Amino acid sequence: MQAYLPARQFGATFTALAAGRLLLALAWPLDSLLYDQQLSSPLTSYLSLQEGLYLFSNGVDPYDGGSFRHSPLLLSFFSTILPSSRIGAQLLWTLADSVSALCLVTIWRARQRVPYSSRDAMIASLYLLNPYLFMPSLALSTSTLENTLTLVSLALACRQRPSQALLVLSFLTQLSLSSILLLPPLLLLLITDHLSHLASPKSFNGSLKRTLPLLGEFSLYFVSLTFASTVSAGSWKWMLQTWGASLNLPDLSPNPGMWWYFFTEMFDHFRPFFLMVFSVHLLIYVAPICIKFQHDPLYAAFILLGTLATFKPYPTLSDPGLFLTMVTLFPEVYPYFRHPIVTALLHLHASLLLPLFNRLWLTQGTGNANFFYASTLVFACSNGAALVDCIWAGLRIAIGEDKEGYHVVQE
Amino acid sequence: MRHWLRVSLHLCISLTYVLCTEASNEHFHEKLSLRSLRDGKVASTFTFTTVLNGVEPRHPETLGSKDASQHYNVFPLALGQVLREYGVTELHLSMNAGKWNYEQWGYPDELSAGTGAELWVWMGEGGPLSIEQRWDGLRNALSGLFCASLATMDEQRTTSPSMTFIPEGALPIWNRPHLLRHASLPSEHVCTENLTPFLKLLPCKSFSGIASLLNPHRLFDSDWHGMGIHVLWHPDKGVEIRLAFQSVSDPLRVSRSKRRGMCLSLKPTQSSSTKSPQDWSFRSLFNRQIDRQCPVARTSTIEVALPVNEAYSLEPSPSTVELNVARFYMTNESVPLDINFRWPAEFTYPVNPPSQSLVPLSVQRTLRGSSQAHGQVSVHLRNHLDESVQAMYLETMPWLVLFYLHTLQIKLDDAPRDDLISNISYIPSILHSRPTTLQALITVPPKATIRLTMDVTKAFLRYTEHPPDAQRGWDLPPAVIVPLVNGTLRGPAQPSLGSRIYTPILLVDLATPDFSMPYNVIIFTCTVLAFLFGTIFNLLTRKFVIVRLTLNPGCTVHDL
Repeated sequence: MQAYLPARQFGATFTALAAGRLLLALAWPLDSLLYDQQLSSPLTSYLSLQEGLYLFSNGVDPYDGGSFRHSPLLLSFFSTILPSSRIGAQLLWTLADSVSALCLVTIWRARQRVPYSSRDAMIASLYLLNPYLFMPSLALSTSTLENTLTLVSLALACRQRPSQALLVLSFLTQLSLSSILLLPPLLLLLITDHLSHLASPKSFNGSLKRTLPLLGEFSLYFVSLTFASTVSAGSWKWMLQTWGASLNLPDLSPNPGMWWYFFTEMFDHFRPFFLMVFSVHLLIYVAPICIKFQHDPLYAAFILLGTLATFKPYPTLSDPGLFLTMVTLFPEVYPYFRHPIVTALLHLHASLLLPLFNRLWLTQGTGNANFFYASTLVFACSNGAALVDCIWAGLRIAIGEDKEGYHVVQE
Repeated sequence: MRHWLRVSLHLCISLTYVLCTEASNEHFHEKLSLRSLRDGKVASTFTFTTVLNGVEPRHPETLGSKDASQHYNVFPLALGQVLREYGVTELHLSMNAGKWNYEQWGYPDELSAGTGAELWVWMGEGGPLSIEQRWDGLRNALSGLFCASLATMDEQRTTSPSMTFIPEGALPIWNRPHLLRHASLPSEHVCTENLTPFLKLLPCKSFSGIASLLNPHRLFDSDWHGMGIHVLWHPDKGVEIRLAFQSVSDPLRVSRSKRRGMCLSLKPTQSSSTKSPQDWSFRSLFNRQIDRQCPVARTSTIEVALPVNEAYSLEPSPSTVELNVARFYMTNESVPLDINFRWPAEFTYPVNPPSQSLVPLSVQRTLRGSSQAHGQVSVHLRNHLDESVQAMYLETMPWLVLFYLHTLQIKLDDAPRDDLISNISYIPSILHSRPTTLQALITVPPKATIRLTMDVTKAFLRYTEHPPDAQRGWDLPPAVIVPLVNGTLRGPAQPSLGSRIYTPILLVDLATPDFSMPYNVIIFTCTVLAFLFGTIFNLLTRKFVIVRLTLNPGCTVHDL
């Protein structure tokens, strides 16, 4: 009887949080959140999704310019089976959040090899109560759906369901192109195991050849989904409008990321060069992180999510939110964090400054663009600090605790 | 002897000139219409029409080959060359300054009354040059010809709203269709540097005839002024070019300032007490009179609209009077001519202007919201008639303002009435390249006001795209409303319906970056990026080792 207590406790906490979350969304539908630039980017805005659906239902090609930059898959799902009304959307987004929280708990249980644990309730509540995740979800940003797909894909991989995990990942890649960077750690996760080997690293002894069929499977899904998108959109124009946007950055509206002000202020003749540098820069982290954390691909995926949240072209608050919440999956590294207080304070600082300076600049007219830019720099530093600390702790844990008279340094 | 030579030379030249104009198929007509408006202002419209008989617009298929030589006597060669070079069938260029008050002034004589510059052209498709190339060349040529920034009407401002801007003349039937290109530049100001090239296109320049009244000092001082160049083709007549200048001057303002001057000099004269401030003459309006007749003009007509049920006096007496219009046909005997129009009754300024609008629909358009990121466009349409009016509504919005069409709402007395809007045609904008075109058919119930609202987002521009005075904001082109007659555009029987109504332009306040920052931003962002990159790769590429800390210099290092 005692053993079921954590499970019951988790069930009660989870239900209460999800219901509270739904009640809040339905009781105070805040229109101003829909316009908030921290919560939804041009690629994930609910308003442009509505615009695309409206144009699509009225026979105008939504990919022929305009503000609609969502994937044709979302367009076809929302115009057929998924609800597009405000209340329906609130229900769907709450459901997505609940599924994400459940997936996070699933990953945790699979990693610990336990059917349930006393931390379940805390992990779920850390997802559902994280303001970085909670606010974009209230603003109906589709980045919430992207987070759900990411976690579903990782949970399926932890459960060793390769086909389903790859299918979900290819779906996610359709929604946001930069998520394709998660493919290598996911493939590693599928051919090794998802248990924690951080404390006792062993070099990769499997065969990389086993990833080839999985890679082929992913390509198959990806190509067929791309084809399906093209068929449902009626032409190839959607690629430039959705994926092209994250490479060309046509919409320079402010967001918490590092790209928008850089390319607002960029000299025209250097623009293509720096767009290339920023895009390639994202790719550069994949191989080193996968090699260094070859013993624990789940941790590699976690670190890559952190680099994406910091450096991707159109981030919203939900991207760093997912990374920060995922820290709960790795309690073993906590003792090795070097500066958790500094990171937390930086985040506090940035999360207070971002909305404040955005409002001062764009609505009040008492601040200027530099104010908001400075707060995005602080935000980038806070994300970077968290990322660096997680990499440090993930590597440092292998050495073990400090002993008297000895010191751990980098070679 | 020398005197005689000069006289005979003059005679010869004028004889050849007269013979040429008589023999050729070119007719030049000039006309000036003047009417008093009900708020005391005076609208004057100068129209100079040249007809090139029996000539067809250049076929675009012949654009690659050598054109027939052009020889004109009165037709402006500079414009004729441009029209033939780019194969233009119909062209309308207007440049106006000020806001035309439709309720009080009625329709203008020349319909293109939108603030700023507007250019729309019908061109036949086909031939070696694409429509876009010809449109581009035409804009640049006109830009040079009229000293205006028309070349900046690039693809970011070009639309093709063919449902609203139907050809005013006829289009020749060629094997390929004709296409419309339309662009407007609301921030373009018309001034004396545009009038000078305009006058150069007239056969008598401003030396004689009606054109001699075109005094830039007075025209550009008027409350509203604008010039237009219209090229049409009529199958029975040929190519017609109409140069028009319109102005709305305020005799009240002029006489008030005169009176103030008299009060200051403390010399009240008798004339100032008997003279109504609303009186006008060529002298008072243009500070000039017509001293000479333009010898090449076939007709020189001056039309004065006469008031209904009010006393007036007109000097000199007109040639004909019919239907409240007095006409003067200018001859060599009638010059010098200065028309004096007097109102014996004391003028009282209409404090409450007459509520009866002179146009069937009045339009008000505003951009609301204090945020620089998003806002709302709101259009109020009021129907003054006792029957419901259908109107074509056109927005050609630059990409600076992005529409959320799904938020389009139409309300009659705060109740949503989506049935009042139909036939929506929408071409969304592309950031940094293409404007939005939105056309819709709107029904306004009798004596009612409907309200159209739509949410918009404002674009964030690259710092190089901002003008030098970035904080001033951007002018947005006027929306165009065309009330329909029996579901069609422009019925000749009812000129009050079927004519374009331009809304005033809007000013949008866009967010600006800090223009002194490009180097700083590049440095800051790159530093953060490089710092994080360096730290991460430092961690990823170096191994952790344990060192034993000993105080003596010969310490040992134990690798694990």
